[in-house]
Amino acid sequence: MVVPLLVKDLRKDYLVKGKVTSALRGLSLTASRPMILSILGRNGSGKTTFVKIATGQLIPGSGTVEIFGHDVISSPASVKGLISLVPQECRPWGHMTPREHIYLYQRILGNSREGARDRVQFISDMLNIGSFMDTEAVNLSGGQRQLIVVGMSLSAEADIYFLDEPTIGLDVITRKNVWEGIRYFRKLGKTIVLTTHYLDEASALSDEIAVVSDGRLLAQGTLQQLQNMLDYNTRIRIPADFSKGGLESYGRVVSDSQYEILYTDEKRVEEIILSAGLLKTRIEIGPVGLDDVFISLVGGSIED
Amino acid sequence: MLNGLIPIYRRPLALVAILSTHLSFLFFVDIFSHGTQLLVGSIGGLIFTVINAATMLQSDLLFGKIDLKFQQMIATTGISPLVYVMGMATGDIVFILPGAIFFLGVIVYLTPVTVLDVALIIFAAFLTWVFFSLFSYMISRKVREMREIWPISVIFGIVFAVIPPIYYSLGSIPAPFQYFAYFVPTTFAALIIKDAVANSLSSMPLPLIVYFVETVLMVVFATRISDWRQQTI
Repeated sequence: MVVPLLVKDLRKDYLVKGKVTSALRGLSLTASRPMILSILGRNGSGKTTFVKIATGQLIPGSGTVEIFGHDVISSPASVKGLISLVPQECRPWGHMTPREHIYLYQRILGNSREGARDRVQFISDMLNIGSFMDTEAVNLSGGQRQLIVVGMSLSAEADIYFLDEPTIGLDVITRKNVWEGIRYFRKLGKTIVLTTHYLDEASALSDEIAVVSDGRLLAQGTLQQLQNMLDYNTRIRIPADFSKGGLESYGRVVSDSQYEILYTDEKRVEEIILSAGLLKTRIEIGPVGLDDVFISLVGGSIED
Repeated sequence: MLNGLIPIYRRPLALVAILSTHLSFLFFVDIFSHGTQLLVGSIGGLIFTVINAATMLQSDLLFGKIDLKFQQMIATTGISPLVYVMGMATGDIVFILPGAIFFLGVIVYLTPVTVLDVALIIFAAFLTWVFFSLFSYMISRKVREMREIWPISVIFGIVFAVIPPIYYSLGSIPAPFQYFAYFVPTTFAALIIKDAVANSLSSMPLPLIVYFVETVLMVVFATRISDWRQQTI
């Protein structure tokens, strides 16, 4: 079976002020069909470099990227029509309306006038942007402008969509509109590769999550699989005045500015509740989430 | 439509600004020559107007690439870089078309040109548009920040439309320097148009052939280097 996205040992160096900086150091990952694959990583972890290579805009130092069996690096033209992209920090032309953007993009893609108009209407309905479809982008908010770009990309009838931080700058409700759009395309059998800094977004949308750091894949799997990688399954948030020394005997402790985060095992929760009760301290208990997995894998403190 | 018709429809002031720049140049040529160089000034104006389209293209390509990241979206559509560039260049023609028509009209009004002469003038302008649009594309490939392109565009206009003999005759340059003028493609555009208006088609073939070959070589070269992908190291 042909895999929608197969990345093997991808490497890429940049020359910055005479110094070689490695953006990708052997990144490997896969995405099947249909799937929403979220790529998580800190700033500078190589996410955008990967997207640029996978969409045929950057030549890697070594490694391969195959999209439906086509080698993007040796024959980038072979994947055109199969892919669509929301570039990071992409903005629309100020003098054009959302309708004109999506229509023109459709025409560039080779759709007929009628087909393009239908597609514009489809995207307008899907993203719920009908109220400002005929307003010049210069008069729209940042979030509305971002929706134009997302709408253009989703208007393409591609098989794999690369969305590089598509919901950045969007309010909660608008983000959820975009999520619905992404889910809709997944239902159509498409593959969506999403880079994001929003962990809730990755948790809510993804079939699989890939965590990258320093240009390498640290882990890829379902949210449950990633959570299972941790030694602990319970997270307890305790005010910082609670004795840290005492906590460490229960599990792993990570400091926040106001709280101590204790990762522990379910079986020890009762003991901690008892201790907290004796000290009259309010604690919050919950299962470990994607943010815990992320911090555990990538390292650094919560404040980072 | 993207960078031509729609912006002009919504921001017509840009059209006036571009036209007035070239008309003011013609105004001074006419005043200081006491009306004797109006024809030469119009020929220069026509070529400079076309060069202006190329400088606008530099800004548009850079804006689409760096500021909007729009080029990245286009790169995934299957359109070749040159088709994109020439599409954007066609959009910019809309801005300079009124000026180009005006200058062509003045040329036709001032001299008894034939249809063939007019066709040759338009062909010279076309070669200029193709050559310098592709040249602008090459420049835009190398520029990494929007602010870098503004001085480049100004220098570009001066080097290709002010210094070379398009607003004056090649013969007015001291002989040794005339050879330098031949290194500038717009010199040939001016020679072709000046020969056309002088009805001296017999002397035209050489500039025409040279300019045509230069443009073809530019197309071949641009085609060879054109690639959406960047090789950064």
